[in-house]
Order: sequence, then structure tokens, then C-alpha cells
Amino acid sequence: MSGSLLLQSIILGLLLGGLYALLAAGLTLYFGVMRVVMIAHSAFLVLAAYLAWYFQRETGLDPLLSLLVTVPLFFVVGFTMQRLLLARLRPATLTMMSVLLTFAIALTIEGLLGYFFSGTQRRIQLDYSGSSIEFFGANIAVVKMIAFALAAVALLGLWALMKLTRFGQALRATIQHPEAARLLGINTDRIAGFGFGLGLATAAIGGTALSLDSTIYPSLHWHWIGPLMAIIVIGGLGSIPGAAIAAMVLGVSQSLLQVPLGTTWAQTVFYIALFATLMVRPQGFFGGRLAQRF
Amino acid sequence: MAAAPSTGGAGRSGFDKAVLGARAVALLAAAVLVLAFPQLAPDAFILSVGVVIASYAALAVSWNFVGGFTGYISLGHAAYSGMGGYGTALLILEAGWNPWLSLVGAALAVAVLAVPIGIASLRVRGASFVIVSIALVLILLLVSQSWASLTGGSNGLRVPRPFGQDVLRPEQHERFFYLHVGLVVIALAVWWAIDRSRFGTGLKAIREDEDKAQALGVPTFNYKLAVFIISAFFTALAGGMYALWFGSLDPIFQFSILVGSYMVLMSLLGGIRSLLGPVVGAVIVGYALEFFKAQYGDTQFHLVALGLLLALVVLFMPDGVLPALGSLVNRFRPQATSIREMTAGELLEHNRALENDRDGTTDPADREIEEVGR
Repeated sequence: MSGSLLLQSIILGLLLGGLYALLAAGLTLYFGVMRVVMIAHSAFLVLAAYLAWYFQRETGLDPLLSLLVTVPLFFVVGFTMQRLLLARLRPATLTMMSVLLTFAIALTIEGLLGYFFSGTQRRIQLDYSGSSIEFFGANIAVVKMIAFALAAVALLGLWALMKLTRFGQALRATIQHPEAARLLGINTDRIAGFGFGLGLATAAIGGTALSLDSTIYPSLHWHWIGPLMAIIVIGGLGSIPGAAIAAMVLGVSQSLLQVPLGTTWAQTVFYIALFATLMVRPQGFFGGRLAQRF
Repeated sequence: MAAAPSTGGAGRSGFDKAVLGARAVALLAAAVLVLAFPQLAPDAFILSVGVVIASYAALAVSWNFVGGFTGYISLGHAAYSGMGGYGTALLILEAGWNPWLSLVGAALAVAVLAVPIGIASLRVRGASFVIVSIALVLILLLVSQSWASLTGGSNGLRVPRPFGQDVLRPEQHERFFYLHVGLVVIALAVWWAIDRSRFGTGLKAIREDEDKAQALGVPTFNYKLAVFIISAFFTALAGGMYALWFGSLDPIFQFSILVGSYMVLMSLLGGIRSLLGPVVGAVIVGYALEFFKAQYGDTQFHLVALGLLLALVVLFMPDGVLPALGSLVNRFRPQATSIREMTAGELLEHNRALENDRDGTTDPADREIEEVGR
């Protein structure tokens, strides 16, 4: 492998890892606030990508502008979904049943996308689609950098929200120790709803970033669900830094393996890492002892 | 059947006898109906739908070895049915084995493969286990698509017909219908035997509270692994049988999370704690699926239907149809002195409700403490 190709692979891997990190952060949020594994996350991702594509096709404006609509919309949908559906499940079987319920939501979204937009593969054409920037001999597409920038801004925003605001403090308290949070007068039910909305808002941003440079089709979410789930298990369920580190490492490995092995086989790195993690550390690399139970 | 209460030492009451009789009659009628189905079916298409439903029933019952006994919900059982199908086809095509020998050989091979997979995936519980089961299907999909020299890649494989060319299609459907029904009956018999054994009691203890079961000396990991292998074996048999009937394999349909989710939906809808629940669920869901595919085959609408059905079952009928019917019957039972089968969670909730009634408060913190204590 030549030096510039190696550099290119590493840069592309980092860019991809950033996007993975954003999406995995959403999954970790759901798990943190409610012990819910949200299978439908990647379906919402594809939904956001479709909305961005549709917005661009109808208005001719930049798909990034669709974020103004999709982010608040997804936040509300997430809040509603948590309050109306997930909060109804029995606590004793919450983890399992939530998987099935969100799986059902994913199927419904996929079916509706196929129904309204047909199974045809779609792609956004932008005037900057083809352009790339040369960087020490490595060609990096502009759209990939925009996607990464979006992910970085969103993650920084999420971090600031969690660390600097009262809402973030309440959310963290709810995640760490729900009953203590309740004793302090935090309405944990509502906070859990907001946490869910926040997670889904990350899917809106991620989906729009995804729509910039990939072909989208209704069943695309199956393609994403595996890597994302692998990332959160490897990072340790519920740990945001764990998910971010696992996302970066796996994104770069996938990108490096893509050159000698090809796209399909490079995908297996997630699953190999997943099974290896289970053998060595079932609770993931950053999760607490509890993570093994869920 | 889940809600089959024991009435204590006083012998059976008239009501119990009536319920038992009604159940025996219903079972007998269902058996006769199933056996006569090939003669009753008006055309070959309906007959083939019957074979598909019987195949779903075989898959659902096989799934229910793990799902029903241990409560571990695997969304990835399509991995085993797909491997069973591919294994059967490859043994016929590459090794030149007899089709029926290939079927059993492939299922045994899958059972062997299930050992390391089970050791890896049963180390985690709940959601992580579900994720791992999904990952397994996705890996196998990738491998079967990429390893074209063995699996034919995206073009798939053609499986030779086990019966000669002179056997016509309707006759073929009929034979496979009975073969599938036979498989379902064998799997049900094994499930029933486990249900009544010490092994089964240990597995159900794992379902209710794995930590306590372990503390009481149940070898939880070995039990889970054993039932996992049994489940993989039967699932592979069902997958191989389907491959022999259908005659062609395609990675997208063999290693599909949808197929895995059908198994979960069917078992859950019928009732995972009961022997016949998965079969009842398979008939309901299988019929609905075939109907939706026939009506809205070109669109993705059948996915919406499936998704909504699954959501409704999870939200409103998590125990399934048969237990719901059972408790309906119990409502009319004179002097309900029977011990109901309750899950640990239900018992907890029940006791909590009683306690709240006593001191007249509903303290949300209590719930949380119990949740953490789980």
C-alpha cells in the first residue's frame, strides 16, 4: 500500500468514524436513560436521509437546510415515542420487549419508505458532489468532510448540552442514579423522554450527513444496524466515550481493510470485533459490570 | 398450555373436566383438520401456502426452545435455518449425498457450529444477546454473498428435488406438507418432554431470575447452551426441509432478519410459555403474511403490516393468545383457588399493588429500587 493511499484510508476512516460516533452516541443515550436498545435508530437515520433527498428534490435548496425541519421533528417524535410507547412496557421485561417494539417501528418505517418512495435507489446530486480536496496526495471528497463536520458539531453540541446546562445535569443524574435523581426533584420520566428525543435528533443529523454522499434505499438500515450495534456493545452499553472510541477505531480499521479485502469483507471487522469482545470482555471495554446483564 | 392450573388434592371439579374435554375435542379437531388439509385444499397454490405455514410452525417451535424456556429472545435464528438450507444443498451438490441424509447431516453440523456461537453469545443477556443474534445473521449474509465459489453468491443455489421428476408438483406439495407436519410433531414432543423434566425446570428458573437460579445451584450456562444447541438443530432441520421443498436458495431470503423476526412474532403471538402457542401463532401470522404478500406483493406494504402487528402484540398481548384464552376461561372458573402461572415480574407487580393498597400510597421510588434489585 502506497503512502498516500494509506493516508487516504486513515483520513476516510476517521471521517467515517466520526459519523459512527455520532450515531452510536444516540444509541447510548437511549440505553442510558431507559435501558432500551433502539433497533429503529438506523431506520430513522434512513428516514432523515430520505427527507433530505425529498427536500432537495422538491425545493432545489441545499439538503442541509432540511435539518431545520428534521431535527425538531425527530426530537418531538422521540419524546412522543418514549412517552406513549416505550413507557408502557412492563419493567420486568422492558429490555427484551423494547427491542421487539423498536424493531417493529423499524419495519414500519422501512415499509412506509418503500410504499411512498418505492424501492428505487436514490442519490442527491449537488454541485459540490464531485469535488475533492487534495491533502498530501490523498483525495478527500468535500461531502465526506461536510458530513464529518456535521457529526463533529453535533457531538460537541451534545457534549456541551450534557456538561454545561441544567438539563444535561438532570439527564446525567437520571442516567447515573434514577431514584436519587427523583429524590432531588428531577422529573425523570420527562427527562427520559427528552433524552430519547435528543437521541433521535442525532439520527436526523446523521441521516442528513449520510444522504450527502451515499445512495439510499428503504432497506439500507439493515446495513447500518449491525455496525452500530457492534460499536455500542464493544464500547460497553451506556458509555458514550466507549462508543466514540470504538466508533473511531472500527471506522479506521474498516477503511484500512477495505483496500486489500474489498468493501464486503471489510464490513466483517465489526462482527469479528464484536465476537472477540464477547469472548474477552462480555461487558464491553468501557461498560460497567451491569452492562453484561442487558 | 400455560394456564393449566392444578386444583389441589380435592380432585377435578366438573368445570375442570369440561375444560379438559373441550380442549381434547379442539385438539382432535385441529389434528384431523391438519391431516385432511391436502385433500381439502382446492388448488396447488393453497396447498403450497399450507406447506409454507407448516414450515413457519416448524421454525417457530424450534425457536421456542430458547425463547420459551430461557426467555432469551433471539432475532437471529434465520442464521440456523439458512445454514441448514445451505448445508443440505451443499451436501447434495458437492458431496453427492442422499437428500434426506444431507438434511440430517446439515442439521447435525449446524448443531456443532452452535456450540462456539452459543458459548460466545450466551455470555451476555438481554439486549446484548439480541444484538449478537442479529449480528450473526448479518455476518452469514455477508459471507454467503461474498463466497460465490461455494454458495453461488447472489445468484443462489438450486437444490435438486428429492423425489423423482415423475412426482408432480401438487403431489410434491402434499408430501412436503406431511413431512413438515411430522417435523413439527417431533419438535413439539421434545419440547413437551423438556418442559416436564428437571432440565426444563432449571431453564424456566433461568427465565424467571437467572442470578437466583445460579445461586440455587442450577448450572445455568450449561443448561442455556444445551437448549440453544437443541434449538439450532431443529431450526436447521426446518430450514433444510424448506430448501428441499422450495428448490432454490437466495442469501437475501435465507439469511434475513425478517425470517428471524417472523419466528419471534409467531411464538410471542401464540404464547411462548405454552406448548402449542408457536403453532397457533404460526397459523395466524403465516396466513396473514401470505395474504399481505399476495395482496400487496409489489409494494413494501407487507412490512408495515408486520411491523404494526408486532407492535400491537408487544404492547397489548405480550403473553400471547393461548395464555390470554386460558385466563379468560379461568375467569369463569368456580372458586378460583388454583395457582396461576405467574412470571416473577407479574408476581412482583401483584405484590406491590397489594402493598400499595395497604398503606395507601404509591411511591415511585419503590418501583425503582425493585427494578435495580433485579
